[in-house]
Amino acid sequence: MEKQSGYTWKLGMFVTIGLLLFILAVYFIGKQKNIFGSTFRLTSSFKTVSGLEIGNNVRFSGINIGTIDEIQLVNDSTVVVGMVIKDDVREFIKTDAKASIGSDGLMGDKVLTITPGIKSQKIVENNAQIASLSSIEMSDIMKTVKKSMDNVGVISEELAIFSHSMNNGNGALAKLIRDPGMANAMDKTLNNLEKGTKGFSENMEAAKSNFLLRGYFKKKEKEKEEKLEEAKEAKEKKEEQQEKAEKEKVKTK
Amino acid sequence: MTLNLKNTFEDVGNATLFAARFFKEVFIPPYETRQFLKQCYAIGYKSLPLVAITGFIMGLVLTLQSRPTLVKFGAESWLPGMVALSLIREIAPVITALICAGKVSSGIGAELGSMKVTEQIDAMEVSAINPYKYLVVTRILATTLMVPILVIFADAIGILGGYAGINIHGDVSFYRYITKIFQSLEFLDIIPATIKTFFFGFFIGMIGCYKGFNASNGTESVGKAANSAVVTASLTIFIIDMLAVQITDLFF
Repeated sequence: MEKQSGYTWKLGMFVTIGLLLFILAVYFIGKQKNIFGSTFRLTSSFKTVSGLEIGNNVRFSGINIGTIDEIQLVNDSTVVVGMVIKDDVREFIKTDAKASIGSDGLMGDKVLTITPGIKSQKIVENNAQIASLSSIEMSDIMKTVKKSMDNVGVISEELAIFSHSMNNGNGALAKLIRDPGMANAMDKTLNNLEKGTKGFSENMEAAKSNFLLRGYFKKKEKEKEEKLEEAKEAKEKKEEQQEKAEKEKVKTK
Repeated sequence: MTLNLKNTFEDVGNATLFAARFFKEVFIPPYETRQFLKQCYAIGYKSLPLVAITGFIMGLVLTLQSRPTLVKFGAESWLPGMVALSLIREIAPVITALICAGKVSSGIGAELGSMKVTEQIDAMEVSAINPYKYLVVTRILATTLMVPILVIFADAIGILGGYAGINIHGDVSFYRYITKIFQSLEFLDIIPATIKTFFFGFFIGMIGCYKGFNASNGTESVGKAANSAVVTASLTIFIIDMLAVQITDLFF
């Protein structure tokens, strides 16, 4: 018996450690898949799940909190997705939370993201249904792209007609652009205009010094100065005494 | 040619009968418990260092070899998951089984072969001990139960080796490494791989015993028995592996 116990304990240790490792592995994998521990279920219905599969992760605020456990087609435009979520996070998911489907990283594994709501303070029930946000579909993007491409087509067509008439038409703008004679004429006109304005300002100067009109200009200048002085006085008075300023206001009235 | 073919089929038939006899005898008392434990010790515990070293090296080498490709795709963070998956699903079971085929199957073949040649088995029969029960059943049972445990050890140590391999180039905390591995594992990765190791173990023991038990007279047949036990067991392991993977693939 002495001899036997020499190896049996080693054998026992060997087997125990081996089985323990196996059980640990099974336990941790089960934990990953939310088989052990308390969980609760939520459902949400989508128009399309865009490739979501059973076993994909459910995220809330960027944390993996559960997995998809059921995807069922209800009718031709509704898919109900069931998810199993850890009980710990239930208190953070309110009744107005919304589910949406996005993709995870470059490899395109899909994830279901639960976005918290704003108003509700009520915690979700087990087996409750939460609202869903329709995910952005590639076909939808293509639709809007097509619309703007159509618009671009119309615009470029009109642009072509416009530039053609620019090059070949007889309108004013076309002439302005193409005809050198027109350009010369414009140049001359502008020169004349300049000369004219110069002459006009000289005339004005002359008029100011004319004795018939001098009085009028002087009057104007005086009025300006008076106004400035009045404003200054009013300001000073205001600063000195509010009451006085009021009285003066009454007087002026 | 025809005779050769006939001989081959006869061999297969004999082996099948031999295996069938195991299932018949394993349930009938008396049980040779002490002999069984002794075989478990010799097969399981004594093979552990060999399996541990191989497992560690496999994990390390696999990590270092697959790293450049994954880096090219910018998927270096998938390295732990990939190494653990390939270790647990395929590499650790097959490598461990092959090592056991080399170490255990040849040992059993040589041992039983020499017993047969020196007429010890006949002597046992004379002294009213069922040699099949005492020698064969205990050994086959021991390999069937010990090889899966050895594979679990190889998995664990291989993952440790992978951790060492990753830390050569980068710096990953052990906790993060383990989390990463369990994230990528599913039951489907572990259960079929574990089930197939029982078959590996059974065939390693069965082939070793069969070859030894049927050694013809003469010393050279002992070497022959040991040799052909290793070759046949290794080949059988690959065939079982192929079948197991195909069946798993079919159902899941």
